[in-house]
Amino acid sequence: MKPNRTVTPYLFLVPAMAVFGFAVLFPVIMTFAYSFTEWNGYGAMVFVGIDNYVKAAQDVLFRDSFVHVLIYIAITIVLEVVVGLVLAGLVSVRRRGSLWFRVAIFTPVMLPMVVVAVLWAFVYNNDFGLLNAALQTLGLEDLQRVWLGDTSTALIAVSVVSGWVYAGFYMTIFYAAFNQVPTEVIEAARLDGAGEWQLFRRIKVPMIRNAITVALLLCITGGFQGFDLFYVMTNGGPYGATEIPTTYLVKSVFTFQNVGYGSAMAVVLTVVVVGLGLIFTRVNREKPEEVRS
Amino acid sequence: MPVTRKKTLAAVAALSATALILTGCSADGGSSDDNVLRIAMGSPGEAQIRVWDDVAAQYEAANPDVTVEMNYQDDDLYQTIGLPNLLNGRNAPDIYFEWAGARLEQRAADGFAADLTEAVTSGPIAGLFDDEVFTSLTVDGAVVMVPHSADVTNVLWYNEDIFADAGLTPPTTWAELLDTCDALNAEGIIPIASGNKDLWAAGNWLAHLTSRVVGEEAYSSALAGDTDFNTPEWIEAFGYVEELADHNCVNESVNAVDDNEGAQLFFQGKAAMHAIGSWLVSWAIDEAPDLNFDYVNLPAMPGEGNQESVIGVVTGYVVNAKSTKQDEAAEFLALLNSDENVQQFIGAELTPMTLSAASGEDIDSRTASLTSLLETAPAIVLPPDNGYDLETANALYAALAEVLGGQSSPADAVAGIDQKLG
Repeated sequence: MKPNRTVTPYLFLVPAMAVFGFAVLFPVIMTFAYSFTEWNGYGAMVFVGIDNYVKAAQDVLFRDSFVHVLIYIAITIVLEVVVGLVLAGLVSVRRRGSLWFRVAIFTPVMLPMVVVAVLWAFVYNNDFGLLNAALQTLGLEDLQRVWLGDTSTALIAVSVVSGWVYAGFYMTIFYAAFNQVPTEVIEAARLDGAGEWQLFRRIKVPMIRNAITVALLLCITGGFQGFDLFYVMTNGGPYGATEIPTTYLVKSVFTFQNVGYGSAMAVVLTVVVVGLGLIFTRVNREKPEEVRS
Repeated sequence: MPVTRKKTLAAVAALSATALILTGCSADGGSSDDNVLRIAMGSPGEAQIRVWDDVAAQYEAANPDVTVEMNYQDDDLYQTIGLPNLLNGRNAPDIYFEWAGARLEQRAADGFAADLTEAVTSGPIAGLFDDEVFTSLTVDGAVVMVPHSADVTNVLWYNEDIFADAGLTPPTTWAELLDTCDALNAEGIIPIASGNKDLWAAGNWLAHLTSRVVGEEAYSSALAGDTDFNTPEWIEAFGYVEELADHNCVNESVNAVDDNEGAQLFFQGKAAMHAIGSWLVSWAIDEAPDLNFDYVNLPAMPGEGNQESVIGVVTGYVVNAKSTKQDEAAEFLALLNSDENVQQFIGAELTPMTLSAASGEDIDSRTASLTSLLETAPAIVLPPDNGYDLETANALYAALAEVLGGQSSPADAVAGIDQKLG
């Protein structure tokens, strides 16, 4: 019997597409639909048109939450990607004995984020915390702060924890990428008299440009998805200084039961993240052409 | 190209249809008609969970064909999305914990609260409670909740040893409170511990303070959305919160730590006072058994309100109107409030509101005193997050936190509430 080649390939796709439809497509479509309603999650659903989007556009806290997440992303690009790159550079210089160093740096990635957040909340605690106690022991009382209760330090404090966790993750990516750099290129550079710093800056980093691009994209999109650290450590406080879109929309949906408004915020957030991702990809696609030209 | 596009569209349509069938989404929810009696609540703590499990076992022994399924959720989760999710699910609870006030009225309006009038007047629950307790549990002429306990939401707990050592007496007026703060600060002791990261801990305390200044009626109408917050009376009330900040009455970390961390300052003797509710008794007995502590109600304020008011709320259990086991649920609630089980709850540091509880001999003196405080209060103030709309409550809490943390002036904070609420 001759196989039906028109239908068969699609049949193989059905399981994966069904899971995708159930787990991704359907929630996205429903979230978009809910964003045009006023609904508490279980009662009557009222169609309100674009009211939720108008409300989001006028909501100062929602607007500020994007500013906060952009600051967070900027800091984490330095603390995660740049520090990860430097750490990878260091361990790739001297590979013997670097295993334990790499394991130590990577370990925080394996810890559940909630556990990390609780641990660091204790470190930052004004009354019992390790950080203020250390500053006091060192005679640096002037530097003591209510780290998570001060609007000028709370966002930075959370970003530092994120950096502590993910610097090891990016170090691992870059370390693997550095290992792919052909040894003959390195050796040629050495013969030309390049030192370790020049090797790192002029040879290794340019040659792992694709890995750096992926890391930046991960860091930016991951930053928008950030939630657990903020939720546990500050819950958006103090005074909304660490409110980011995800914590704000979760509060809206789960605390105040404004499913419609929360859905509208989720749609806006999705559009922003997808938009940034597309721009980023476009920009990075164009650059090699510029180089070639 | 058009053929490809058609295929793509067909695939997406088929996919969406599959997803719809797979999810079988239902917004109505409802109770199962199996032989399982489902009970949901925020976790009441290990001691009370043991009592609940025992009551469930007693019920199952008396009704061998029924299984009792207990669902103890995290408190915050239950209060926010937990309960609505359960009520909307396929196996909705037959009995669930609720707070009297706006939340209870909402449940009744949404069709999740069964009429228990017959059960409490002539049914299995009749005679277990004083009839007066049902006044606040009646919606549109129907009793919709069986009371369990009356929580005093906030009083000022104080460490008796620290006060004795510093030669202080518990403050009963606003001026005395500020003087006490100054004296304790001079001793290097935090006057009042509070963990307000989640806004409700100091929020409830300071909301009570504002009610004493603006008066119970103005307090209630503003929180109900009938009047604005931005009035001279509210600004004056917020001015007293600013005085607390000026006198360094609370820990510097107040808005950075949660209620648990705030309580630890009090348990470890780093703070002389702690503003929190009646649940502190069992908590302190567990975590700081050597702590010598007692309480005073919020000191009298200069203002329009009743200066002996108490902030508190009745909590209890609602039978789901969609349950097919409403009779069994009423019988379970009667068993829960039997003399024997009431004594078990008293042993677990909770005093039920039944008539029989009043004769209990093992009640902690502070718990008994708090129960009496609430029962004899000339005015009861509902906490914002239980008695009123949660978004309004949160706006008030956030404004109070800003003033307490020295972030906003009273006028700006009060104006900000109306602005936030639109």
